[in-house]
Amino acid sequence: MAVTTSQARAIGRPTERSTTARGPMSRRSRSRVAVVVRVVVSVVVSVIMAFPLWVMVVTAVSGQSVFSSQLDLWPGSFTLSNFARVFQAWPVTAWFSNSVTVTALTTIISVVVSVMAGYGFAKLRFPLKTPLFLLLLSTMMIPTQAILVPQFRLVNAMGLVGTFWAVIIPGAAATFGIFLARQFMLAIPNELIEAAKIDGAGPVRIFWSIVLPLSKPLLAVLTLLSLMYQWNDFLWPLIVLRDPSLYTLPIGLQFLQGQYQTDYGALMAMTLITVGPLVVLFLVFQRWFVQGFATSGIR
Amino acid sequence: MSSAAALAAGESPVAPAGGSASRRRRRGAIWEPSALLFVGPSVLLAVAFLILPMLGSFYYSTRKVSPLSGTSTPRGLDNYTTMLSDPTFLRALLNTALFTVITVPLSMGLGLALAVLMNSVLPWRKVWRTVVYLPLVISGVSVGLIGTFLYNEVIGVVNKLLLALGANGGIPWQSNGFWAFTSVVLVTIWIRVGFSMIIYLAALQAVPGDLYEAASLEGANGWQQFRHITFPLVGPATFFLIIMNVIYSFQVFDTIFVLTNGGPGNSTEVLGTWAYKVAFGPTRDQGYGAAIGVVIFVLTLIFTIVQWRANRNRDVVA
Amino acid sequence: MSLNRRQVLAGGLGLGAAVGLGACSGLTSKAGSTAPSSGASGGSGPVELTFVNWSGDAEKAAFDAVIAKFQQANPGITIKTDTVPYASVQTNLDTRFQAGNPPDLFRVSYIDMGQYTSQDVLLDLSDSLDANAFEPGLFQAVVANGKPYGAPHQIDTTAILYRKDAFEAAGITDVPTTLEEAWTWEQFSEAADKLAKVTKKGQSAFIYDWQSAGAYRWLSWLFEAGGALLTPDLKSAAIDSDAGRKALDFTKGFFDKGWVAKNTSVKSTTYPDSAFISGTVAMAFAGSFLVPAVDVGVKKKFEYGAMPQPRDVAASTDLGGNAVVAPKDGKNTEAAAKFLQFLVSEESMRTYCQATNELPTLKSLTSAQLDFDIRPDLMAPFVLQAKTLTPEQVSQVTVPQFADLNLALQNELEKAFLGGRSSADTATALAAAVQKALQ
Repeated sequence: MAVTTSQARAIGRPTERSTTARGPMSRRSRSRVAVVVRVVVSVVVSVIMAFPLWVMVVTAVSGQSVFSSQLDLWPGSFTLSNFARVFQAWPVTAWFSNSVTVTALTTIISVVVSVMAGYGFAKLRFPLKTPLFLLLLSTMMIPTQAILVPQFRLVNAMGLVGTFWAVIIPGAAATFGIFLARQFMLAIPNELIEAAKIDGAGPVRIFWSIVLPLSKPLLAVLTLLSLMYQWNDFLWPLIVLRDPSLYTLPIGLQFLQGQYQTDYGALMAMTLITVGPLVVLFLVFQRWFVQGFATSGIR
Repeated sequence: MSSAAALAAGESPVAPAGGSASRRRRRGAIWEPSALLFVGPSVLLAVAFLILPMLGSFYYSTRKVSPLSGTSTPRGLDNYTTMLSDPTFLRALLNTALFTVITVPLSMGLGLALAVLMNSVLPWRKVWRTVVYLPLVISGVSVGLIGTFLYNEVIGVVNKLLLALGANGGIPWQSNGFWAFTSVVLVTIWIRVGFSMIIYLAALQAVPGDLYEAASLEGANGWQQFRHITFPLVGPATFFLIIMNVIYSFQVFDTIFVLTNGGPGNSTEVLGTWAYKVAFGPTRDQGYGAAIGVVIFVLTLIFTIVQWRANRNRDVVA
Repeated sequence: MSLNRRQVLAGGLGLGAAVGLGACSGLTSKAGSTAPSSGASGGSGPVELTFVNWSGDAEKAAFDAVIAKFQQANPGITIKTDTVPYASVQTNLDTRFQAGNPPDLFRVSYIDMGQYTSQDVLLDLSDSLDANAFEPGLFQAVVANGKPYGAPHQIDTTAILYRKDAFEAAGITDVPTTLEEAWTWEQFSEAADKLAKVTKKGQSAFIYDWQSAGAYRWLSWLFEAGGALLTPDLKSAAIDSDAGRKALDFTKGFFDKGWVAKNTSVKSTTYPDSAFISGTVAMAFAGSFLVPAVDVGVKKKFEYGAMPQPRDVAASTDLGGNAVVAPKDGKNTEAAAKFLQFLVSEESMRTYCQATNELPTLKSLTSAQLDFDIRPDLMAPFVLQAKTLTPEQVSQVTVPQFADLNLALQNELEKAFLGGRSSADTATALAAAVQKALQ
């Protein structure tokens, strides 16, 4: 590990300022002050971070005009009229269910593909393994805008344009997930796999009954990442889902920006509809997300 | 082994450790046919929908594409030479570099600071942590839209807030290039800081607590502990974050597209938005757009390889 | 840690439901214009036409009404509208064309006509439209090589919407109603000065509608000053002239003098209707098509009127408005032509324009009194304004390269308005950019 030398140095080196002896009392009161300071900092940071979201929610549920010159940081009059307006004028329900469908299917496919590939790259022997993996890694550097035109032609040649599959199938090519899965699988002890082999289990059985059960945190983090990515994807769906009845929420949102311009009541209502489900999902499953990252070895 | 170290070491977990014995063994190793089943789908998808289209972009970047029929005629390297005399491209390149240089260290530094904070003795830690990374789940389009509402210089919330706090007039967030750029940076930090924090937090939680105890016994103060224990130990995470954040910042699109659309003037134009505008805007020059896309890809790749080599050397030295 | 069984189950159920929901469309059948082509053109079986357009609320309702009538009269033909965001309509159309699957009908701004006619992808409507029925200057907008390639559906022109309370406060009483009475640039300047004095913080005297693709609306000032964008042969730039510099000087002054808010420049996304509704401006240069939305937005918060744009050497306005066209390689060109013919028939055009506050292109309607549904009292200046467009001006803004010219205007004007570049330098730069785009 890169750090061991400097780390050893750090611990081994006596520091000059350490000479002052600290009594237990002063240390305790000191740490109490420290906790208070930390809480204050946390509150300030949280207020700043939550502020834009708060403004969004307040504007979405407020009846009052956002153009009034005073600052309105509290819903003056609670109303759902902004939502009603958006729902009546545009097929928001359809956009919502489109988003759910596309996101769910893409996530299922990409998680399955990533986990399998991760296992293959981590535990199986086959020719050209390293070059193939590096090739996959390099695709993480491809910007979406750079491949829009050729990708469109390909999907068009496959006859998928104007269907959800045009989003789902290319969306399943998520190399970050493969990378993450491989990292996780590398940490699974080889002895487990060798033992199963000796018992006569084939690679598929090993994958199914040994590797997968150990990979729940990985599955959780891959699922959440994929949900996040697909739910929010904008540019590619915009190009291939040309029919407004097939739009997903982010495209619908951009559409409404054009229609409503600075009618922020309506726009923030639509933003809330777009952002809300993911926020809720995230709040419910956040434990998996943090722990998933911790155990998939990204550190 | 951590992912970042693996990324740094590249082939190390896969390739033999070296020496003729292992090389011989590898040549003779049975290759497992089931690998085709496991790895095949991913490779197929990546080749079909990422690698082939990227090669396609290289091809189109040397051609003039007719926007309606899609037919193309050769144009040699004209698309690339055009860039050199395209002031908007040069401005976008500069802006992209500036944006990356500002947002990456800032979001990582703040992320690390917050991670250290969240890793310390702190009541209601989960609440603060959640609030910090919540913006991460919000789509670029939504973020941009919320941004337009916050930073509208006439009716926006931020200027109203400044006025309420006694400022002497609003900030020209939309009509002044410097402030528009600042608003884009602020919004980006807002959504990205949570990612750095999560990764750093995961790294910190793996640092054995007794290291700090030992250091504390030795009399190291908080800063010294951070400088000599925490910072080196999160090194691999830092490497991983640099790569991920640089890719993000260098290829930023959605947020800027919706928030400023590159304006005022070209002051917030970045390579991502310019490539899109060239290819899909009114001029619809898909060949030139592809060439800009190729430039974005190549620059990202070069940066990653340089980082990777530098990091590998560091490992070797250590 | 382990996933608890109930959570997994719930997740699975959720996904199942989602898949069930979505299975109805998008996955099983291809949406869009892939309906089986029934006997190509001339077939008598049922035909479904896809019509791609962008629309405001009033326009959407008006299109739906026209389509319903058409379908009643032509039982074999149904029309499916795809209303897409204005910002991405071009991308939408491009991808459909590249996929070899263009929609049967689509809406095009006059200033974008050249892009399609130059590629020769549109259906020649010589047999379906009677050129003599239309205002000659306007019909010019859909003509290329002597043939009409689109149905000139409507136009909209820019006039000024003004707040009566602001005018009262500023002591402005002489509000013009006809083109002859229209303010001169000097009178307009005086009024703007007065208004700037009475506006509060966050408000400004006026907003001009040159944002984004509207950059070309700046040309109204150029035309008013007696200038031209292109030489009469449409082959080179004519903008680096005294009139050009005068128009630049005058419009740049809007920003320098603080008459307009700085975030309403040509690359901005703050548009006149939202600024006017929000009460941040005293006057808004706006197209008549915005009147329905403005009227809904303003409600009864303040009283407002309309008046013609100021005039200098001449009175002028911009060629706003749209044609509806059909691709020549469509599967149902005959049915499409039939619809276009219906769309620009006197009755359809009358009801459409009345419902949307847009202006007609048929001679029989331009001379008639239209009974607009919303605020008919505001429409006179817009109608008068429409008559100021000359065929020469129309041909300048419908050249095939106009998209590039518009972009050049946007880039160069922004530098003058916000970047502080002098009018002389801007005129030279504009001429160079125009010249380059023309090649």
